[in-house]
This record gives sequence, structure tokens and C-alpha cells, in this order.
Amino acid sequence: MTLDWSVVWTHRDALVEATGTTILLAAATMAIALPCGACIAALRLYAWSPIRTIAACYVEFFRNLPLILVVYWAFYVLPILTGLGLSPFLTGLAALALNVTAYNAETFRAGINSIRRGQVEAAMALGMSRPQALRRIVIPQALRRILPVLTSTWVSLFKDTSLVSVIAVTELAYVAMQVRAQTFRVLEMLSAMAVIYWLLGYPQAKLVDWIQRRYAVSE
Amino acid sequence: MEFDFSVIGDHARFLAYGIAITVALSVVSGLTSIVSGFGVAMLRLYGPRWLKPVVVLYIDSMRAIPVLVVIVWTFFALPIVAGLTMPPFAAALLALTIHLAAYAAEIVRAGIESVRPGQTRAALTLGMSRRQVLRRIILPQAIVRMLPAFGSLLSITIKDTAIASVIAVPELMRQSETVAGQSFQPIEVYTFAMLVYFLLLFPVTRGVDRFYRSVAHLGRS
Repeated sequence: MTLDWSVVWTHRDALVEATGTTILLAAATMAIALPCGACIAALRLYAWSPIRTIAACYVEFFRNLPLILVVYWAFYVLPILTGLGLSPFLTGLAALALNVTAYNAETFRAGINSIRRGQVEAAMALGMSRPQALRRIVIPQALRRILPVLTSTWVSLFKDTSLVSVIAVTELAYVAMQVRAQTFRVLEMLSAMAVIYWLLGYPQAKLVDWIQRRYAVSE
Repeated sequence: MEFDFSVIGDHARFLAYGIAITVALSVVSGLTSIVSGFGVAMLRLYGPRWLKPVVVLYIDSMRAIPVLVVIVWTFFALPIVAGLTMPPFAAALLALTIHLAAYAAEIVRAGIESVRPGQTRAALTLGMSRRQVLRRIILPQAIVRMLPAFGSLLSITIKDTAIASVIAVPELMRQSETVAGQSFQPIEVYTFAMLVYFLLLFPVTRGVDRFYRSVAHLGRS
């Protein structure tokens, strides 16, 4: 077995660019999924009951589907539904956003629900209106509990961006596997891909541990 | 836009085979992950001191690397290193176990650490050995507390088996791709696959919740 690691160095530009795409994809997904997740959670908690049911169905549906299937589905169905040809990047972004929005909605809902009802009742007894109680009492406490969960969703999302490689989004996994196919340096390229993901993901996982320790809630 | 779901009926056996492989791969890799997760957690908690940093590094690395990368590496690169070729199913099983055992180990560790240390001290005072304490006092409570987390691990396992399609394991995702490619009806085929995955996963999440509620009192102390 002869190994030639120089193949990784020769393709460094492509790998760096692909890593940039991976990070951009994860950041863009989170930027969409945070406000959308908050909206869905609000609908699930406070909206008119048929709408509440629809929001609950959306969340349960996407939490119970493999992401890779959603990616394929978006690739074939979105162009027909919307009538416009989306680029692979935007299709992947849409699939990831649909998925992460569902998870975030559940996180927000659980966070709000974790604040005992008595606190809202106490706030209203002191003369606050319901929206005031929500804004001043519930949300500040809920955010502390939501933040650690959101950070671990971020780490999962960062890894899940690799799945959009199946629809040829030029992110890290796709580019590394392309180079592997062109150069036949299988072990070198696949190991380089794993190492790059590790270098990016390991500090994030450690940071999440730290945040979870720091924001640990004990009653 | 016209939909023709007869394509599902035409390939019923082919797709049913995929569902069977998905279920088989999920059940087997779920079991192997939980069993190896127990082993890893025992090494982390009670193993020799020099081994602990290695175990922690393994667990955190698996949390950092996408499962797609582990699957692809195990199938394409491991045979070059180890000099043995594996069929796709075995490679997927191995990769999923390596990946998910790390998560299972964290669940086991959290469960064991959730039993208050006072109980261990009390049992030691009563004359039990460390092994007895673990088997009679800690594990019976800890295992019940681990159940909800194992339930979500199982649903993650089922979802992750779909990623094995990239190394051509003939499970539901792969079979759907094949049918979609041959029939030029991707919308019908993938929508069907979505429905099947939902029907597989939803009862698992709900069933585990319900089962846990009926045994939760056993884990309280």
C-alpha cells in the first residue's frame, strides 16, 4: 500500500472553498431556522387551535423523517411546486431549514413550557398583562434553558450539512469525494475529509459541553 | 401536475425488501450500539486510568464527525487499511455501531451518574462489593432512567440507516432512488418513502414515551 498525501495539499484550494461553503450553509440554515422556529413555536402555543394542530403536524413530520430523504425530496419536488429551478445550494438550504426549524420550534416550545405556570399567574396577579408577563418573566428565564439546546442543534446541523452532498452541493463532503473519484487516492482524501470535519467539529462539541455546564439549571 | 401512485404497486416487492433491510439494519445496529455503548461507558467510568482519555477522545470525536463521513470511510478507506473487503450491509452496521455507541455511552454514563453517590456509600457500608453495588443498586435504577434517551437513540438509528444508501446498502432510501430513477416518477416514490419512514418512526417515539411512563416509578429514588 503506497500512500500519497500530497494529493490533499494539491487540492487545498478546493477543500478550503468547500469548507467555507459548509460553514456558510450551516450559518444560513440557522439564520432561517431561528426566527421560523420561534414563529412555529408561538403558533403551537398561542394560535387558534386548528393552526396549532397544523404547526404540531409540521414539527412531528419533519422530526420523524431522515434528513437525507428530505434533501432528495426537496431536490425533485421543490422545482415542481415553486416552478423555479433552484440551485443545489438553495435546495440543500431549504431542506436543512425545514428540518432544523422543526427542531428549533420544539426547543422553544419546551423552553417556554418549562417555566411553571404559577410564575405567569403571579405576574398577572401583580397587574402585568399576559404579553408583559411573557416578555418580562417567562422569556428571559426560558432563554437560559433554550440556549444550550440550540448550541447542540447547531453542532448536529453542522454535521448534517454533509448530507446535501447527495444533490451535488459543493460543500466539504461532496468536494472531497469528487477529488477521491478523480485521483483514486481514496484513503488519503476520505481521511482528510474526516480530519477537517473533526478539526471544525471537536472544538464546537467541547464548547457545547462548556455552555451546558455553565447554563445548567437546577431547581 | 398529475400523480400516478401505481408506480408503488408495480415495485411493491422491491420496496418491501428495502423496508425489511431498513428495519433489520436499524434493529441490529441499535442493539450493537447499546451493547457496545455499555462497554464504552464502563471503561470510561471504571476502566484503568490511562484508558479514560482515549475513551473520551473517541466519544467526542464521534460527536464531531458526520455519520456520512464515518460510513463512507468505513466502506471505502477501512478495507485499504485493514486489507479486508466488507459487503455494504456489514460496513454500514460497523460504521453505525462505531458512531452510535459513543452516543449510547454518554446515555449510560448520565444514567449511572444520576444515581446519588449516597446510595453507593450506603451499600458499601452494608458490606456489598463495588460490583454488587453496581448490579443491585445502581443499574436497576439507572437503566430505567436511560430508557427515554435510548428511545430517541433508536429513532436516530432508523434515520441514520437512510444514510447507508450512499454506500449502496439496499435499504428503503436506496431502493426508492432506484425506482425513482427507473420510473422517472421521483415525486410519487419519495413521497411514499417519506410516509413509510414516518410510519416507522412515529410509533417508535410514541411507544417509547408510553412504555417509559408505565415504568418510570421504578427509576425514582
